Amino acid sequence: MGTALSGAAVVGIGRTAFVRKSGRTTLAMAAEASRSALADAGLTPSEVDGFTCYSTGDSAGPLQVAGAIGIDDIGWSTGVMGGGNVVASVVAGAAAAVVTNQADVVVVYRVLGSGTRYGKANAAVIVGGEGQFAAPHGYMVPPQWFAMWCQRHQAVYGSTSEDLGAIAIQGREHASHNPHAIARDPITLDDYLAGRWVNEPFRVYDCCYEVDGAVALVVTSAERAKDLPHKPIYPLAVSDASGFGGGVDRWDDMTCMYSREAAPRLWNKTGLGPKDMDLALMYDCFTYTVMATFEDFGFCAKGEVGEYFRSGRATYGGDVVVNPHGGLLSEGYLHGLNHHYEAVLQLRNEAGDRQVHGAETALVTAGAGPYGGALIYVNEAW
Amino acid sequence: MVTDTADVLGVPPQPAPDADSQGFWDATANGELAICRCQSCRLWLHPPLERCRACAGHTAFERVSGTGEVYTFIVVRQPSVPGYLENLPYVVVVVELDEQKGLRLTSRLAEVDPGKVRVGMRVRAELVPLAGGDFTVPVFRPE
Repeated sequence: MGTALSGAAVVGIGRTAFVRKSGRTTLAMAAEASRSALADAGLTPSEVDGFTCYSTGDSAGPLQVAGAIGIDDIGWSTGVMGGGNVVASVVAGAAAAVVTNQADVVVVYRVLGSGTRYGKANAAVIVGGEGQFAAPHGYMVPPQWFAMWCQRHQAVYGSTSEDLGAIAIQGREHASHNPHAIARDPITLDDYLAGRWVNEPFRVYDCCYEVDGAVALVVTSAERAKDLPHKPIYPLAVSDASGFGGGVDRWDDMTCMYSREAAPRLWNKTGLGPKDMDLALMYDCFTYTVMATFEDFGFCAKGEVGEYFRSGRATYGGDVVVNPHGGLLSEGYLHGLNHHYEAVLQLRNEAGDRQVHGAETALVTAGAGPYGGALIYVNEAW
Repeated sequence: MVTDTADVLGVPPQPAPDADSQGFWDATANGELAICRCQSCRLWLHPPLERCRACAGHTAFERVSGTGEVYTFIVVRQPSVPGYLENLPYVVVVVELDEQKGLRLTSRLAEVDPGKVRVGMRVRAELVPLAGGDFTVPVFRPE
């Protein structure tokens, strides 16, 4: 089975505050999160020989951040261009670098400053590439693209605003127990339905909460992890999928996503399935992303996600706890690396008031539409 | 030339044609909707490519009917894109053209009550000038 990544372990997690407007540079925030993750791991910057991140060209790169925390010699370093679609492969890349002896201790981070807000495109006026055909029609930002996908699901499977609302409401309820979350006031279905329209069928509560902040993970070998302060959390396996050239309007069936391809690969590699997951950290740039990917990973049938959430099966005491931190919708949009932070915290049994009792396995997804990936974490060596 | 912020925000995004897409824009400038097509296996390709993605054959732009059906759509109510910060809402549609399953074009659906748009609705393309430059673009109307 394809579980060789579990020769590596996540041994440290760190992050900054998540705020609307930090007034800080991405370099400053990435350095803070990286130092914090190393301190958590019981390691010093001088022990780090690998650094990696992903970005959309919007933030400080791995060499800059390594330099800013006093590291003069980095062995293995990659900066990956991408967003949610590459999170799983970047984390897995760090684990692979460790397993293949390219690096001993790797820091993985994502940082977002106020200069990055994907919901608006006020600056771009000349558009090349695939965007040149649709951008002139006022169509060029993710809250538009994935509303398109959602509309198709509603037309084919009869999913509703109330179904999307169930996802948003649960995320906010979970966030209300998370002091790190940016949006902690619970909402009702009436609040959800009264939320202003963004792009029908998306209302404001269907869209993630964009913030400034950084998250970092420290990855080392499972062997070395035994001597470090926290319980090691193992990335068991990863699976990515990208299709149709990455074009958001070309994917053959918008009622499902990349996960249609990635999910069976991941389950086949590990011999595990949705019933084996205690936690599901579902990438939730939008409520609909959760809906489509949750179906694809086999937690329920098409069109049943709303009822699954409403009946309590996706929260404490149910079948699987989805996004106990509140997700990108309510904890804040840290581009999915905060899902990894939460998975590690939960599997260490260190999540405090919101601890999922006895959690041993976590599915962590990232990406939406035609591209993304997922990773399974476990808290015992395989 | 656009010089101040107010002007920039009032102008919709302008396409930047490249060697692969130039034929599309040349055709619209002549009042025609043309899509890239493989001259060997006859596969339609959008966005356009220099060579066919299936057989690597040479491609050329050929006229299409401009008719098709709404695969999906949105009603844009939040100002997000320059040139579209006022006069909301507007409807954007992904249209599957009649020529080939999966051949899609994304554009506005003009002169329609947003509440009456449906997936599966029949539409037809029409060429209109794009504000702020010299481009002509296809928009759809209910058929």
